[in-house]
Amino acid sequence: MASHSRFKNMLIAKIITRFPSLANRFIDAYQPWETEGVPWTPVSKPLNQSVLSLVTTAGVHQKDQTPFNMNDPHGDPSFRRIDGRVSLDHLMITHDYYDHADADRDMNIVFPLDRLREMVDEGTLGGLAETHYGFMGHIDGPHIVTLINRSAPEVVQNLRKDRVDLVLLTPG
Amino acid sequence: MGLVQREIEKAGIPTIGISIVRKYSEKVKPPRTVFLRWPFGHPLGEPFRPAQHRAVLEKAFDALYTVDVPGTIVDLPFRWRREKYEK
Repeated sequence: MASHSRFKNMLIAKIITRFPSLANRFIDAYQPWETEGVPWTPVSKPLNQSVLSLVTTAGVHQKDQTPFNMNDPHGDPSFRRIDGRVSLDHLMITHDYYDHADADRDMNIVFPLDRLREMVDEGTLGGLAETHYGFMGHIDGPHIVTLINRSAPEVVQNLRKDRVDLVLLTPG
Repeated sequence: MGLVQREIEKAGIPTIGISIVRKYSEKVKPPRTVFLRWPFGHPLGEPFRPAQHRAVLEKAFDALYTVDVPGTIVDLPFRWRREKYEK
């Protein structure tokens, strides 16, 4: 049963990646969390003196970590810590809700770690954090509360500990 | 993605997000977003096109340092598979 619905999700993902206009149906059906106001922190340091952490919701994690749970229709609100020194060959994607065939070939299109490392080498970016973070998008229902009240604060605590100045977020 | 972005920004760390679904960003309202009308799974573009990935990153960092109205979504001019990035 679970594998049947996973197959269905993956098929839909392939179709809407090929024909983006069909995605509108799913986008309109999605009722995001009500948000109030817009949080704001001014940028205080130049890019070439800033340490950056990469946070993705593309389902990226290390191959030696537990994959995201694809059998829960509400998604998986947990996250994976990605070692800042990792080679992209040691990463993989677990996410049935978009077609990641291209990202499986070159992880940089959802998790541009090689590009950011090049920027550090060139001196345009100050540095990269010791840890990056992989989430799975497509979080729904009760898991949104877990995402906001448990996962996000843990990530924030770690970002502070690592003295991260800036965060770049990428979707799937 | 926008929800996590909001929590990080709220905690005092400036953030920039890349979006490929404008409607989500409009509803969730992250502090700063660059938007591309590109297919799911391709926020930085096509595989093995480093100049394309860098072009998106440059625009994202530009937005990070220039946006001064919270909730701004910057529409990037790049068309899918119809731009030349390599010099």
